[in-house]
Amino acid sequence: MRRALLLGSLLLSGAALAAPLPTYELTLQDGHFIPPQLTVKAGERFKIVLHNLGQGPAEFESTPLRVEKVLSPGVTTFVVIHPLTPGLYPFFDEFNPQLPEGSILAQ
Amino acid sequence: MNQSMFIVWRESVEALLVIGILQVWISRQTAHSRLGRFLWAGVVLGLFCSAGLAGLMLWAGEAMTGPQGEWLQAALTLLASGLMVQMVFWMHRHAATLKNTLVREADERLARQGGWGVLLLALLAVSREGSETVVFLYGAGARLQGPALSLFAIGGVLGLVLAWLTVLLLRSTRRFISWSLFFAFSEALLLLLGGALLVAAVDRISGQLLAMDMPEWVYSSFGESRWNSSALLSDSHGLGALLADFVGYRAAPSLVTVLVLLGYWLWVGNGLRRSRHTA
Repeated sequence: MRRALLLGSLLLSGAALAAPLPTYELTLQDGHFIPPQLTVKAGERFKIVLHNLGQGPAEFESTPLRVEKVLSPGVTTFVVIHPLTPGLYPFFDEFNPQLPEGSILAQ
Repeated sequence: MNQSMFIVWRESVEALLVIGILQVWISRQTAHSRLGRFLWAGVVLGLFCSAGLAGLMLWAGEAMTGPQGEWLQAALTLLASGLMVQMVFWMHRHAATLKNTLVREADERLARQGGWGVLLLALLAVSREGSETVVFLYGAGARLQGPALSLFAIGGVLGLVLAWLTVLLLRSTRRFISWSLFFAFSEALLLLLGGALLVAAVDRISGQLLAMDMPEWVYSSFGESRWNSSALLSDSHGLGALLADFVGYRAAPSLVTVLVLLGYWLWVGNGLRRSRHTA
């Protein structure tokens, strides 16, 4: 019950980040990813700050990373990814599916 | 052109599928003209909502990509999932009442009870994916000029036509199978989609919880993968990706995802069994 209350109050107050998470930067530019591959540490939560510097909107999407996010041009936002087991995790821009995917290498 | 065609097809096929199933089912009811109005009102409202949501994404991009937008989308996805299930149960219940009561009485009640559900489901089905399509079309439309823009527009229209043809093709299977089998398939499809939407909502909510300052058990149950079957069937490409979109398959799910999907099917299975008893 206390946990439920705690969870509820945190949700309502839109709790801010306390402990700083390992953070990586990723730029989206009309379907291209800069850098094309991010190397992250396996087994810990981490944050990706996404910048859409392209002229058009982008949809950062990856089922294994459990992310689907539409970014209009000029938007900067972030996603927090669950701890990954070592491996390669592809992501792509759903609005530019013909371009090569990007990936996260967890090691 | 290929690109806009493919994207519009993929974004619209789900909504058209839901509308197609509802429309066929409604056309078989005696209250069809009234229910039909609810359905088409839902579609039209859905188109307006698509434009509205797309406008929010484009002009309030920072807010919509932030937590508020994520919670909003999670809520819409959850609602859509619940409505899919409610619709299937409603169809079942109605099949049962038709056998027992006067047709007219049943139909009036049907139109009253189900109409708003039909409207809301059509609205959500159209506006959820529709808003993304609008953002995509607007963004590319603003960037392209001259012949490239025409080709892009033609591609978009072709995508919509293709999605329509896909649904017609699925509907034409009706000729080779009985109505009851056709509706059994339709219901199964709606329930599977309902499960997929539920998993998508859990993903979105989990992403938000992971970003907050939470006790460790929240991170581990909402975040950590419990197994990894991507060597057998990856959820990023081909069949696995299709199953992810339409069934809620995840190659490396969290504990909460597994429990929620399991609970969903137990609950749905139990509900269907019960409605068969009363039928």
